[in-house]
Amino acid sequence: MRTYIDQIRAIIWKDLVLELRTRERIAAMGAFAVLAAILFNFSIDTTSTRPEDVAAGLIWMTLVFGGLLGVGRTFYLESQDNALLGLLTSPVPKDAIYLAKTLANFALLFIVSVLVLGVFALFFGLDLGANVGGIILVLGLGSLGFVALGTLFAAISTGTTMGETLLPILVFPLLVPMVIYGVTSTGRLIAGRPFDEVEGNVRMLGAFAVAALAAGAMLFRYVVED
Amino acid sequence: MTRLVLEAKGLAREYGPVVAVDDVNLSLGEGEFLTVFGPNGAGKSSLLGMLGGAMRPTRGHVLIRGQRLAYSDVEWRHQVGILSHRGFLYGQLTVEENLRFYGRLFGLTDLDQRIPERLERVGLADRIRFQVRQLSHGMRQRLSLARALLHDPDVILLDEPYTGLDPSAAGVLRGVLAGLRDGRRTVVMVTHNLKEGLELATRVAIQVSGRFAWEGTQADVGGEAFERHYHRVVEGRS
Repeated sequence: MRTYIDQIRAIIWKDLVLELRTRERIAAMGAFAVLAAILFNFSIDTTSTRPEDVAAGLIWMTLVFGGLLGVGRTFYLESQDNALLGLLTSPVPKDAIYLAKTLANFALLFIVSVLVLGVFALFFGLDLGANVGGIILVLGLGSLGFVALGTLFAAISTGTTMGETLLPILVFPLLVPMVIYGVTSTGRLIAGRPFDEVEGNVRMLGAFAVAALAAGAMLFRYVVED
Repeated sequence: MTRLVLEAKGLAREYGPVVAVDDVNLSLGEGEFLTVFGPNGAGKSSLLGMLGGAMRPTRGHVLIRGQRLAYSDVEWRHQVGILSHRGFLYGQLTVEENLRFYGRLFGLTDLDQRIPERLERVGLADRIRFQVRQLSHGMRQRLSLARALLHDPDVILLDEPYTGLDPSAAGVLRGVLAGLRDGRRTVVMVTHNLKEGLELATRVAIQVSGRFAWEGTQADVGGEAFERHYHRVVEGRS
C-alpha cells in the first residue's frame, strides 16, 4: 500500500513540476477563463437581467470549456518521447496511473475554478458574502467529477486520429447531471441562500465525483492496455 | 548450459488480419545476448513488446526464470528493462529528476546511491543537473539506458538503440552496451543494422514475416558471410 501511494505521489509530483516549468495548461485554462468572463460581462444586458441570476451557469460553462483545454492535454507530455510506454512498463498498477493523473488535473482545475469565481465576482459585481466557502466546495467537487471523467476520455482521445476534437463529444453528455447539480447549488449560494438548502445537491455532486473516479480507475486499464 | 532466464513459447501477435509475430519460441540463459535481425515490418518490435510486457500476446506466453507471466503481472516489470529509440524521458525534467521519478515508480529506496552510480556507468555523471532537452540524442540514449538499468533487471530489451545516432554517439553507446555482457544479464536486441547487431551478439536470429526464419550463432555464419546469408534468408522468405 505504501508503494502504491508513493507511486501515485511520484506521478503527481512529475505532472505538477512539468506544468510548473511549461505552464502550458494552466496558462491556457486561466487565459480562457479571464477572457470568457470579460466577454460574458459584455454579452449581458444588465437593464433586463440581473448578473447574479445568470452568473452560476456562466461560471460552470467557463469551467467546463476551460477545463477541457487542460484536461485534453493530460497525456501530451507522455506522448512526446513515448513516456506513456515508460509508465505502462513500470510496475505501477494502471489504476494508480489514472488516479495520479486525475489528482494532478484536479489540482490545476481547482486553482482555475477559484480564479474563475474571482474573475466573475469582479466583473459581475457578485457579493459572495458568507457563502464563498460553500461555493468553492461546490466548484471543487464539480472539478473533481469533471477531471475524473475528462482524464479517462483524454486517454481515449489521445489514441485516436481525432485527438482533442473527440474529447468534448465524449465527455459533455456525461457531464449533464454534474452541471445540473453544480449550477443549481452555485446559483442559490450566490443568491445568498443558506448552505442547508443546497446540501442535497452538494451530496449528489460528491457522489458523482466518487462514482466517476471509481469508474475511471476500473476502466482506465482497458483504455491504455494494448 | 547456463540457467534459463527468458523463454517464449509459441508467441504470436495479430493486428486484425495482419500477423506480426507468428509462433516464436526462444530460450535464453544468463549472460546470453540475442540479436534479432529483420527487415522493416518483420515483427521485431512487436516481439520485443511482448517480451517486455508492453503488449499482450494473441497466443503463447513468456516465462522468466521458469515463471509463466501474466500480462498484468507487475513483478514482470521489475525483472525487465527496456531501451527503445524513444527514451521514455521528460525533456523538462533534469537527468536526476527523470531517474528519481522512475526509481520511485519501481519502489527503489537507495536512489541517492543508485543514480550517481548508473550515471557514472553511462558517462553522464557531469550532466546530472541538466534538463533532458539540453542533451544530445546520443546522451539521451545513454540516459535511457541508465533508466532501463536503474532497477537492476535480469533481462534487458533493446529496440533499435542506434537509431538516429551519428557514428561517434553510436560508438559511445556500443561501449556502454558492451558493459551489459557481464555474464549475469540476458539481453535481446532487435535491429536491422547488421554491423552493430553482430558485434555484441552471442546468438543471432533472423525474423521474417513474423517468424524466426533462421537461428544460430556468429560462428555458424561468421563475419561478412553473414550479410550474404541474411539477404538470402530474407529474400527467400519474404
